[in-house]
This record gives sequence, C-alpha cells and structure tokens, in this order.
Amino acid sequence: MTATVFDGVVLGLQFGLLAAGLTLVYGLGGVLMLSYGQISVVSAIVVLFAMDAGLPTLGAVGLGLLAGALMGLIHDLTILRPVYRLQGESRVLLSLLLTLGVAFMIDGLLNWRYPLQGLRMRVGSGPIEIIGVRMPAGSVVASVITIVTLTGLLLFLRTTTLGRAVRSVIQDEEGARMVGIDPSRMLRLILILSGFLAALVAVTRSMVIPVDVQAGFSITVLALIVTVVGGLGSVVGALLAGIILGIAYSIAAAQIGTFMSLVILLLAAAVTILIRPSGLLGVKE
Amino acid sequence: MLQVRGLSAGYQGNDVVHDVSFHVDPGEAVMIIGSNGAGKSTLFKTICGLLPPSTGQIILNGEDLAGMPAQHLVPLGMSFVSPERHLFPRMTVQENLSLGAYPRRPDPETLSVVMDVFPRLAERRRQHAGTMSGGEQQMLAVGRALMAKPRLLLLDEPSTGLAPKLAHEAYEALRILRKQGLTVLIAEQQVPLAMAFSDRGYVLENGSIQMEGTSSDLARNPEVRRAYLGVV
Repeated sequence: MTATVFDGVVLGLQFGLLAAGLTLVYGLGGVLMLSYGQISVVSAIVVLFAMDAGLPTLGAVGLGLLAGALMGLIHDLTILRPVYRLQGESRVLLSLLLTLGVAFMIDGLLNWRYPLQGLRMRVGSGPIEIIGVRMPAGSVVASVITIVTLTGLLLFLRTTTLGRAVRSVIQDEEGARMVGIDPSRMLRLILILSGFLAALVAVTRSMVIPVDVQAGFSITVLALIVTVVGGLGSVVGALLAGIILGIAYSIAAAQIGTFMSLVILLLAAAVTILIRPSGLLGVKE
Repeated sequence: MLQVRGLSAGYQGNDVVHDVSFHVDPGEAVMIIGSNGAGKSTLFKTICGLLPPSTGQIILNGEDLAGMPAQHLVPLGMSFVSPERHLFPRMTVQENLSLGAYPRRPDPETLSVVMDVFPRLAERRRQHAGTMSGGEQQMLAVGRALMAKPRLLLLDEPSTGLAPKLAHEAYEALRILRKQGLTVLIAEQQVPLAMAFSDRGYVLENGSIQMEGTSSDLARNPEVRRAYLGVV
C-alpha cells in the first residue's frame, strides 16, 4: 500500500508540473492551450534526435527545453494574435479552437514522419530505497526535478517583482495596467515559461514511462483535468490537485485496474466542479 | 501640464463624451463635476488610456498621448485612481504598494510619505487587500497610485463608498499631498467636497463642458448651486 501511495505521489508531482503551465496561461490570458501536450511531445522528439546525433544527455535536454520555450513564444507571436483581440468567453473559445488545430497539425505531422519514435531516458542503475520502499531511480530523479522546478516557480511568482507583476494580471488586469504593467508582455513571458514546463514534463515523464509521438492528447487531457480540479490560475492548486489525483489514480490502478484510473480521475474532477465550481484553490469571479 | 482638446470618446462607436476641451496647469487642483451619467468616468478612462478616444488630443507636457494604452502613461508621470479601485485582492497591502512602483523597486521615501498620509495602511501592511474595508481599500488605491511618483494624479470619485467622516479624511490627505507639489484632476459627485479642495472646475453635462470657472465663482453661480449644491 505504501508503495502504491508513493507511486501516486510520483505521478501526482508529474500531474502538478503538467498543469502548472496550462493553469497560468489560462489564469493570465483566458487562453486555453490545447496544443500543450504536442509541445511536450515535440520537445521529447528534439531531445531524442539530439541524443541520437551524439549530444551529451544534458545538452540534449537543454535543447529540448529551449525548443519547448520557443514553441510557447511562437504561439504568442502567431496563432494567438487573433485570440488577443477578443475578450471573455469568445477569447477562450477561439483559443481552444485554434490551438486544437495546431495540436491536430503537429500530431498528424509527427505520426506521418516519426510514427515509431519515443523518448525513454534511463536514469541510474538499480532502485533507490526510501523509508523502506524501493523506488525506481527514474521516478526519484523525476520527482526531485519536479519539486525543485515547482518550488522555483512559486518563489518566482511570490517574491520577485516580475513574478508579482504576473500575478497582478491574473488578479486584476485593469489594475495591472493602471500601475504600468503591460499584460501582453506578461502573457508572452508566461507562454515561454509554459512551453519550457511542457518540455520539462516530457523529460521527467520519460524517466518513468516512454513518451511516444501519440502521447500529446493524453498529456493535454490530464493537464486539463488537474487544472480544473486545482482551480484555474493557481499553481499551488495545480500541485495539490496533482498529488491528490495522482494518489487516487495509483490506488485505482492497483485495486481495480488501469482501465478504471482515468474514469476515476474524471469522476474526481466532476465531483470537484459540483462542490467547488472554481476548483480547490480557484477564486470565485 | 495637461491639455485636452476636442476629445470625444465612448463605447462601441457611441460617443458618451463630445468635443471636450480643458486644461490643468502644474500645481493646480482641478475638478470636473456633473451628475451621474454625465460622462465623467468615460472622460477619465479615456485620458488615462483605458479607453481609446474617437477623436481629439490629450497632451501631457507637450506630448500627445491620445490612443496610448494606460500601461505606457504611468512612466510619463500620470497615475489614475478608479472608483472601482482595481486593487490586487490576494496580495498584501505591502505588495500592492510595491507594485505601484513597477518596474522600479519601491522608493522608501515615497513609501514613508504614503504611510504618513494613510497611517491605516502601515497598520495593515500584511493584510490582504481583498479583506479590507471599502475606506481602507480606497486609501490603498490612492497610496498605490502615489508609489509611481506621479506628477499628475487623476482621481475619479475618491469619496465613493466612504462614510462622510472618512471622505473628509481622504480629502485632508489629498491636501497634504497637494502641498508637496502634486497636481490633481478630480471628478466628484459630492460637489461640496471637491469645491472646497480645488482651484478651478468644469461642469460636465451630457458629455459636454457646460461651464467653467474658479471654484469660488462656481460655488456662487446660482445654476451650480441649484443643480449640485442642493440650494433651492
């Protein structure tokens, strides 16, 4: 049982990292980015090819993270331009449609050109023992990277002037403009950051399970579920929801079977929306 | 300092403000009075860049700012306090004030001036803005605007939601700030407060300037007295 819970925490941290970028982009700009999982997959393929080309692992990972950040920036500069002209619900809807189009395009392209590729990073040799539970080294390293990244993200948002400026746009966009903060610049920054996080998800995930070219949509769907449960715009909410859902997922997989795990996740999301429409740590509008 | 010429503005092509012209000289306090719905808020939102004008010029220190977005006007020395306040509710008083100085670090001297003028803010430093009373939020909104060290402060209805005693206190604080050289443009429905505070004023009705003069002249004008001061 302890091992199952541990697996759940490992998975939950992944979920939290998955949702952090998506939730910030939505909270800041009212943009629902459904191409998120594809950014992740493209980054994974970049890492794979860089490693095949003979780059050392760290260099290849760096290149993959750069590719993710760049894709976030390209979203901001191209496909999201018309979205920024709209406000409120129509903005959410147009962003959903356009990024879904991007997702289909990338998915199609990857399936056509590289149907059999997948990234699997091997970390360490044997399992590592933590309070009597033997965990695969990959899971432990992935979790450590995730914890460090999310801590860094929270520190950035809470203690730096730039991070506070980002939060101010989430809390009151007009107020942010009144003190001289340009919301579109903050959104660009967050899109670059979330592209980076999507790429990091690919890297840490590949230490636990292979990330293949078909993984895009399942990554986006998982991120969406965690984002909804955690509350749109809240990184702490995403982390909390991620860990709760990760543990639920693992227990369901161990006790009932993997086929029920996703259903359990959706059920948890549905119940959360019924009880708290704005999510665990979301703010009522 | 500020010259507005032939300004028209509104929402979705329907102008609410028509061909408005007025000016504010350095060191002055100028009021814009008018009944509810006269267009004061639309006029202020347009001047501070939250709403694009349809025609006209907004000249601050010789530079035409018409059509520039709000976030670019703050560094030029103009700050705006809205009746809706637009604070950051889940940040502390301290964080709200710090962001007022964005992108610079908050200047300790300005911060202590703000805390002197509004001692309540010093007491509530660590409280979240969203949990404070309306009066405290109003003080914070003014304090946050001051952190940018504006030369011109636009105040739209600073007495909104304040009990009479607090409204008087707010105006006392504004008098202190004026003595320190701040230029103020103020819109107010509680006309007696604004009249006692300002040097000159304009009467805005149906989106156009109907009258202008020194505050003491306006206070003696029979029409103004009947319409805004409740004198029959």
